[in-house]
Amino acid sequence: MTALTAAAEGREREPGVRARWAAAVLGAALVAALVASVCLGSSDVPPGDVWSAVARGVSGQDPVPGTQDLIVWQLRVPRALLAAVVGAGLGLVGTAVQALVRNPLADPYLLGISSGASLGAVAAIVLGAGAGGALGLGLSSAAFAGALASFALVWAMARRGGGFSPLRLVLSGVGIGQFLSGFTHYLVLQAGDDQQTHGVLFWLMGSLGGAQWATLTLPVVAVALGLVALLARARALDALLMGDETAAGLGVDVVRLRRELFVVTSVLTGVLVSVSGAIGFVGLMVPHVCRMVVGGDHRRLLPVAALFGAVLLVVVDLVARTALPDQELPVGVVTALIGAPTLLYLLDRRLERGQG
Amino acid sequence: MRIAVEELDVTLSGRTVVSGVHLVAEDGEIAGLIGPNGSGKSTVLRTVYRYLRPHAGRVLVGDADIRSLTAAETARRVAALPQERGSDFELSVRAVVAMGRTPYKRAFAGEDRADADIVATALAGVGMAGAGARRFSTLSGGERQRVLLARALAQDPKVLVLDEPTNHLDVRHQVELLALLREQRRTTLLSLHDLNAAASLCDRLHVLHEGAVVASGTPREVLTPALLAEVFGVRAAVVEHPLTGDPLIAFDHRGVADAAADAGARVGSPAGPPGEPAAPPRTPVLKRRTG
Repeated sequence: MTALTAAAEGREREPGVRARWAAAVLGAALVAALVASVCLGSSDVPPGDVWSAVARGVSGQDPVPGTQDLIVWQLRVPRALLAAVVGAGLGLVGTAVQALVRNPLADPYLLGISSGASLGAVAAIVLGAGAGGALGLGLSSAAFAGALASFALVWAMARRGGGFSPLRLVLSGVGIGQFLSGFTHYLVLQAGDDQQTHGVLFWLMGSLGGAQWATLTLPVVAVALGLVALLARARALDALLMGDETAAGLGVDVVRLRRELFVVTSVLTGVLVSVSGAIGFVGLMVPHVCRMVVGGDHRRLLPVAALFGAVLLVVVDLVARTALPDQELPVGVVTALIGAPTLLYLLDRRLERGQG
Repeated sequence: MRIAVEELDVTLSGRTVVSGVHLVAEDGEIAGLIGPNGSGKSTVLRTVYRYLRPHAGRVLVGDADIRSLTAAETARRVAALPQERGSDFELSVRAVVAMGRTPYKRAFAGEDRADADIVATALAGVGMAGAGARRFSTLSGGERQRVLLARALAQDPKVLVLDEPTNHLDVRHQVELLALLREQRRTTLLSLHDLNAAASLCDRLHVLHEGAVVASGTPREVLTPALLAEVFGVRAAVVEHPLTGDPLIAFDHRGVADAAADAGARVGSPAGPPGEPAAPPRTPVLKRRTG
């Protein structure tokens, strides 16, 4: 092999090297963000106390009364972990949905699933017994039921004509999403008191305040399975980016792939929205930023997007809890305020470099 | 490996688009599909690379009906270059070519040394060896087509299927791409808009008109003024190319053919339309490709 081709090959291998670096850096950042998220808050806990509280919690001992063990182990640790899991999930779903409808502007909520989840949750708050804004298990179940119902509706619409074509999926998702949002807005107006309205709005804008150890299991399992299911289809996802005919010519069963992707992304979205409300912008921004760094190849992109999503949401939740004294911001507000300008800046810089 | 389409019917949302189509590319041949817009060229090709399902009839690759093969098995024999030109998802040129290995890889399998070599060879084969790290979406139209051809070559297929590969390319890039196809010496089935390109490249032509094959044979047999008037609705003379000796179609760009009357008159007239040199009839022979 000549020196020239060896050099060319070295350049071509660069995305793989960058992906490994990105994964290592993001892994370290995730650990740091989790530690910071547990230490900082309405009352700061020294890292030493955090360590002893976590050690006691992991070994199953009861918290020491009069210390901050309870805050750390029952509130902050599950909340930080939930932020990481939801962020990872949103990064994954965003990546998959963008490939599914072959549009880099797609986000997890495009397919209408979150509208169903929101309607379920809001109905539970306004009409049900679990009122009061507590994001308890009853609320999660209602949200997940709503997600499944909207999934069934969108599925029925999208499969007509036999295609699951990108356009049909988007139109069905947007149409049914708007329809369900209409109901949600109606219910918000029917909310009995300010307390209820506040709870509803907080839910609609996304919140990780309901985190408990018990509510972690479902999203952890769903995100792990989702990652494996998507990685198994990474090559097919790549092919799908080039077009349905190209994918078919590469031996991909496009209709079946779309059906599988639709199920995976819908279930994952339903689970995520049911534990955290609809947190906007993460699913749109994370895949974009990650593609700029490691390229569009899904075998590299999916794990990196999951890691970046996790880091981002842990940090965002920390900001949401600590930015204003005595007041917690909805996570979705912070993601939009930080995320949108960041994305615009990155895209703009890219255009200036002539790579748009 | 020979590829043949037999008695193919395709219906799209209840409408018959293609019916009774019979065509073939013998082993090592380049067979062209020509016909006006909407005559069913793309539909036939889409059935060959299994994007569409035939309503009746079959597609044979070698001796095997592709419906008896899995999708991946078909993709290892037949590589397609559809008209899609990709979208902007930050894919590198190398990643696009590496997609050609998809039908050989199981879920979760990474890329091994052999894949990397095949991808590098395919890129070098289309003259894009140094471009692996570039972004696919920043390439020019001609470069894109060459990279997509490299992707098809990385599939290591027995048969290449291309749908209008020279569309939207300037003349030079058209010539370059067709030269690359000639060099491959591979069984190839392609549709072409440019009849002169088809006459020069193809060993065999199949003419599609309103979903049916109306003529098959060597370019010299098929490309007659009568057929051009009847199928394409144009007045044209067929002469010998002064440089290559290929059939050269000289179109009359001043007006379309007065189809029915003209065509009938010309089919019977051995001299052809006024202005056509009275070439002596030749025995049609398949051209030997010289690489």
